Amino acid sequence: MRKAVALLLAVGLLLALAGCAQKAEQPAPAPAPAAQQPPPEPERPVVKVGTEAAYPPFEWVDEKTGELKGFDMDLIRAIAEEAGFKADIRNMAWDGLIPALLAKEIDIIISGMTITDERALAVTFSDPYFKSGQVIMSHKDAGIKGPDDLAGKNVSVQVNTTGQYAMEKLNEKFKGEGKKLVNIKKFKSTPDAINEVKVGGAVACVIDLPVAAEHMKANPGDPFVIGEPINVEYLGMAMRKEDTELHAKVNRALAALKASGKYDELYAQYFGK
Amino acid sequence: MNGPMLVVKDLHKYFGRLEVLKGVSFEVARQEVVVIIGPSGGGKSTLLRCINRLEEPTSGQVYIDGQCITERHAPVCQIRRQVGMVFQLFNLFPHLTALENVTLAPMKVLGMPRGEAEELGRQLLAKVGLAAKVNNLPAQLSGGQQQRVAIARALAMRPKLMLFDEPTSALDPEMIGEVLAVMKDLAREGMTMLVVSHEMGFAREVADRIMFLEHGVILEEGPPEQVFGSPRHERTRSFLSKVL
Amino acid sequence: MSLDWQVVERYFPFLVGGAWLTLRLTVVTTALGTIIGLFAAIARLSRFKIFSWPAAAYVDFFRGTPLLAQIMLIHFGLPQLFGYKPNMVVDAIAALSINCGAYVTEIFRAGIQSIERGQTEAALSLGMTPAQAMRYVILPQAFRRVLPPLGNEFIAMLKDSSMVSIISMEELLFRGMISAGRSFRPFPIWITVSLLYLAMTLPFTRLVSWMEIKLKREHRPEGR
Repeated sequence: MRKAVALLLAVGLLLALAGCAQKAEQPAPAPAPAAQQPPPEPERPVVKVGTEAAYPPFEWVDEKTGELKGFDMDLIRAIAEEAGFKADIRNMAWDGLIPALLAKEIDIIISGMTITDERALAVTFSDPYFKSGQVIMSHKDAGIKGPDDLAGKNVSVQVNTTGQYAMEKLNEKFKGEGKKLVNIKKFKSTPDAINEVKVGGAVACVIDLPVAAEHMKANPGDPFVIGEPINVEYLGMAMRKEDTELHAKVNRALAALKASGKYDELYAQYFGK
Repeated sequence: MNGPMLVVKDLHKYFGRLEVLKGVSFEVARQEVVVIIGPSGGGKSTLLRCINRLEEPTSGQVYIDGQCITERHAPVCQIRRQVGMVFQLFNLFPHLTALENVTLAPMKVLGMPRGEAEELGRQLLAKVGLAAKVNNLPAQLSGGQQQRVAIARALAMRPKLMLFDEPTSALDPEMIGEVLAVMKDLAREGMTMLVVSHEMGFAREVADRIMFLEHGVILEEGPPEQVFGSPRHERTRSFLSKVL
Repeated sequence: MSLDWQVVERYFPFLVGGAWLTLRLTVVTTALGTIIGLFAAIARLSRFKIFSWPAAAYVDFFRGTPLLAQIMLIHFGLPQLFGYKPNMVVDAIAALSINCGAYVTEIFRAGIQSIERGQTEAALSLGMTPAQAMRYVILPQAFRRVLPPLGNEFIAMLKDSSMVSIISMEELLFRGMISAGRSFRPFPIWITVSLLYLAMTLPFTRLVSWMEIKLKREHRPEGR
């Protein structure tokens, strides 16, 4: 049994290591939205999309159907239709997304990913499709009112997210001020980071505002409070730098959806107005 | 302190539905040497192993120097200390030297200090003719030497009674003599011994009494001259005609 | 693929820190796992069902479920059930030790059972209690026979310890993920991570094969 787990891990490692095309694991392809159109257009190019579907309301796996759902999913399907390609969406680990993109295993990342300078060194981002920000979601008994209250505390984040980077930045500030540093506990998924606060292993987690809001909507009984956003961030779709044609297509489609009101429709569906 | 050293009363032993001992009763007096003979599968080894409860008797009693070992809550370990046992396959502890094999039980069971135990161990190994082999591992000794170490190991607990379970049947012929010699010495010194053996020469020379065990029953017993010279039972006669 | 080896220089101390945690985790958990496994094996071999049954259930559960599930259960599940605050270091060590113990139980059980019955009988006939026979006669022999499989278990643990990254323990593998994700240079990072693992496992694989050869030699009887 354990060998099997180790094997899976090894497969994941190999994938990240060499970025070789991975055939062992075939995630259920999302149903093509183009199915309703009566005359099937011949040979629409397939574009492989990567996401980490543990991030409602942006993306998650429907526990009944196994289907990938969420704002990002609907948006990329709409963009695909608009731009004339087929989106083949794959669910993968957050940390494997950019390596998979660079290794040409996928062509686009849409995964609630914040546009950052650091990431922009490796990939190119689409125009921003969402304005967001990081918030501190803390246990209500912890008395956290703002970032300054986090000094010396355990704070959970998802690894390699802007939440983690925000805390690292905060630690630099604390260092300058001679304060105790935040103990940043990095988890592989956002739900695990939230669970850590729930079980008491951390006083707060730092996550995207819409995700925090969605969590409270879905779990109104949880003893959390959400603070003011500590920054402003924009989400973007990541592509390889050399894929300029795809980049242009995606941006054009996004603009068209915004102009037609389709984008607002989706937005309202997931975030209200 | 005058009663018999060993009393066995109506001992029965079943393995599943097979009855291996069918009501065996006998006594062994102090300083007596009794040799049990009989065909293989007759229950000789089982009888010996029931006496120190390595094998659980189905019914019957065994008394060692007046102490019952077969009772439910008998102090089995304490009684076993007084009964030495020598096995067909020696069963030396392979990870310990000859000396350590001998000193282990006195130190751990009796709490004898190391110095005293080693003194005793060297003395006993010298007695069985292995003074030069004290630091050898069992794997470095011949079969006959291993069995002599096993005897020294049993003697180190200063037993009142020694049980020998076919002590020479796993040995090459040229090594049998050295083991029997040690056993003869022991008998001469007055050790009470119960021996299962196919060595008829040894039995005739050393035994005070011979018991013939077949199909879980003692068919005949008596002094060697009588059992070997004029066996009363037909089965004894036919057995002896095959082995002598 | 661009190979930017400077990135290794930059992340090397960070990765070595992870390797150091991996090594400490492995040493502590295999030591605890060996102790757990020793007692569980003795319980498993007991004639008394109140000992043997729980030991069997323990082995079945922890060998029959994924280590990842066990880690999650201990770190997220139990605190929620009993309402205490989890500590990731304690949970990581507990999960790995208990899991390791289940495998070691089977190793010891096989080792103890491989010792001939005559050894126990000889010990008992000298007046030893069953516990003394186990302690002074059976276990010293069983220990030698289980050293190679124990060594292999240690190597397996060294690699399996990476599973605790799921509860935010920054051991070598997790630090590899962080570094690769940060630098976008997966190849130099992962080859470094792999070499660091190899540097830790290789001495042990060599030690185990040396022990195997040595044991074979010791068991060749000379007399008779």
